[in-house]
Amino acid sequence: MANRESFKQRFIRDFVLNKYLYVMMIPVVAYYVIFHYAPMYGALIAFKDFSPMKGILGSDWAGLKHFQDFFNSYYFVRVLKNTLLISLYSLLFEFPMPILLALLINEVRNRTFKRVAQTITYMPYFISMVVICGIITDFTNADGLINRLFMLLGYDGQAMLQKPELFRPIYILSEIWQRIGWESIIYIAALMGIDQEQYEAARMDGASRFKQMIYITLPGIVPVIAIMLILRMGSLLNVGFEKIILLYNPITYETADVISSFVYRKGLLEFGWSYSSAVGLFNSVINLILLITANYISRKVSKSSLW
Amino acid sequence: MKKVLRSSLIIVLLSTLLIACSSQGGNSNPSNNGKSNTGGNNNSQTEASGEQTGYPLQTDQKLTYWGEITGNLVGVKPTHQDVPFFQEWQKKTGVQLEFIAPPSGQGREAMNVLLASGDLPDLIEYNFLGDFPGGPERAIKEGYIVRLNDLIDQYAPNLKKYLQENPDIDKMVKTDSGSYYTFPFIRGDDYLKVFQGPIIRKDWLDDLGLPVPETIDEWTETLRAFKEKKGAAAPFSVVSKPRFFNDSGNGAFIGAFGVTRGFYQENGQIKFGPAEPGFKEYLNLFREWYKEGLIDKNVATADMKAVDSNMASGATGATVGNAGGGIGKWQPLVEGNDPKAVLVGTPYPVLQKGDTPKFGQRNQSFSSEGTVSITTALKNPEIAVRMLDYGYSEEGHMFFNFGTEGVSYNMEGGYPKYTDLLMKNPDKLAPAQAISMYARGSYNGPFVQDKRYAEQFFALQTQRDAVSTWQKTDAAKYNLPPLTPTPEESSEYATIMNDINTLVDEMTLKIILGSETLDQFESYIAKMKSLKLDRAIEIQNAALERYNNR
Repeated sequence: MANRESFKQRFIRDFVLNKYLYVMMIPVVAYYVIFHYAPMYGALIAFKDFSPMKGILGSDWAGLKHFQDFFNSYYFVRVLKNTLLISLYSLLFEFPMPILLALLINEVRNRTFKRVAQTITYMPYFISMVVICGIITDFTNADGLINRLFMLLGYDGQAMLQKPELFRPIYILSEIWQRIGWESIIYIAALMGIDQEQYEAARMDGASRFKQMIYITLPGIVPVIAIMLILRMGSLLNVGFEKIILLYNPITYETADVISSFVYRKGLLEFGWSYSSAVGLFNSVINLILLITANYISRKVSKSSLW
Repeated sequence: MKKVLRSSLIIVLLSTLLIACSSQGGNSNPSNNGKSNTGGNNNSQTEASGEQTGYPLQTDQKLTYWGEITGNLVGVKPTHQDVPFFQEWQKKTGVQLEFIAPPSGQGREAMNVLLASGDLPDLIEYNFLGDFPGGPERAIKEGYIVRLNDLIDQYAPNLKKYLQENPDIDKMVKTDSGSYYTFPFIRGDDYLKVFQGPIIRKDWLDDLGLPVPETIDEWTETLRAFKEKKGAAAPFSVVSKPRFFNDSGNGAFIGAFGVTRGFYQENGQIKFGPAEPGFKEYLNLFREWYKEGLIDKNVATADMKAVDSNMASGATGATVGNAGGGIGKWQPLVEGNDPKAVLVGTPYPVLQKGDTPKFGQRNQSFSSEGTVSITTALKNPEIAVRMLDYGYSEEGHMFFNFGTEGVSYNMEGGYPKYTDLLMKNPDKLAPAQAISMYARGSYNGPFVQDKRYAEQFFALQTQRDAVSTWQKTDAAKYNLPPLTPTPEESSEYATIMNDINTLVDEMTLKIILGSETLDQFESYIAKMKSLKLDRAIEIQNAALERYNNR
């Protein structure tokens, strides 16, 4: 672009050129404005003693009281630790799985088999969480399916959800099972975009299938992997409470109780709106810091980043 | 490469959108908050003097009514509007209602969202005493519901008369500062206060030549015999949702050691059961039972469904449950599997034969569920008050307990007898469900419950016997009346007790299931103290004192 136009001119030109794309973007932008940016004003209640009848602005200021309450809470260290551990373990064990699956599916030549395999693996994603947790509870019962199998091998049956040390493995394994297919879709899409000529050239040079995968396929999707990883870092402290609440019980609190389930017990059931907002805000700030850090590192190291 | 990136990013964005949309849809807010509240404009009613006494009332005011549908009707009727009782209630009182119902079993969460929205309905059926942190005083102070004293004086002659005649109930219905806040549900007879206790398979006992167990030692023997000679996989099984052995809150088994799982009073002092030595003995007993396989192996995660199936399949021979929802429900189930099977209620266990159990389930005359309050959103509450007063009138009493004459009951020699429509329902509804269709006698609401309902509802002799067996406890002496902390103390109290109850649940399960030794009990007590248990007891003591001074 030789002649320097002003931003406005460039924008108008781009708009005229791509007007349909802009129109298609409206719902997404509107969604973010309405559901994500507008409510930020409500985050104010984290610093107030919110009373709905007085409204957000009318409620009394509480300063940092709710943050202090959370940090000084008896269970703060434990829930923070559990949240981080569950997140890190799932980053470690769950995150690579869809990539592996995508690579495997990519190598399959039989189209029908490919389609069927893909459909079967992403189906579990659409089953309601309550049903999934019901299935998990049934399977891990003292006389459930999994224990029956162990009994065949001569082990004693035990209610697995009553073992604190088994909670995280159960959580993460079921997470893998449920999400692997769905999350692999994006990698499969990325694989489609790799230039076929590269493979041809590699075959000419005598590269084996495995070598092709290592030297062409994998590097081809590295930017996508990096982006997914950065996004993942941004939600490190967000362990969804639905699944936790449906699976935990007091005996597994020591490994299962996370920030969100703690807030659920304390905030939602005790009507502590300000308190839960404070914890939510704390969560978001930490997540934002993690996201920016991860993005920065990724930009330095692999040249691919969100912005 | 750029292309790959861009297309993948679009997918990411789209998928977040999709997820976000679905989770938005999942939030089932009571969305029809549309207030058809004409009350504000109707200030100049035709009868300005308020001398409108006969039902139905002459009004065109329409009220919004928020309330959970009783568990009895879940799966039978989806909304209040479909339930004959609620249709008839509107006709009899002449007041039109527009119902808003939260998802069943999520009343508390839904109430949280409702209050936070600031957009209140006119009437709320909710337990402001038990399920609202800070209690009714705070609900009034924060401006959700209105103080009813003047309104009851002026427009609710029936309720006023009842409370004047029953000063002990009047004391419970008020707050410490003397405010009325709700139209109460009152159990009109001692017989109605007790409905829960230990239940056992009598046919098994007879087969084994064992007596109905009374002491803890006899229980151990009985459960052992069930396991060894009857092949019961889970001889003793109980519901553990939302807390472990949920019904131990009333003192079943745990009461044998002189404590409960919560607060109780002894010699005018408040005590917290889990911090007393008796609790350790209870943990020890259950720990040994669990080790021996006398308690359900999945006890920590057992919900109502699990217990139902254990009972039905004959894996369980003893549990704790209600006369109606327990024996009434399980009797046909166990019979289906074994025609000789009989379930009976046993006395609450004690340590020494002949002792009277210290604790047992025993509700107060006024238990705070099923009560209706008026919100600040209703500008002209006269009609609403008159309408809610209906349940305490003679006509309303019959209607709430038994329904409509000629449809759901007939007068036979001065005794209101439920018809076969309710007791032998043609649509195969259980009596509890069928009664709930035409009356509120089988659960709760703004009225005085009639003993004659229970006499018919407990259709089996075993149920009636069970209730009289369970009644023989000293619970009335040790149970606490409905106490409320002051609005100032309430959030402090809620925070303390939230942490302590988490700790108690953890301690109970870990020790009983054997992942920690019994000696750990003392260290848990120390932790409770560091979580300011003493402060909570102090708050409760002050509340008890205020109650006694009412």
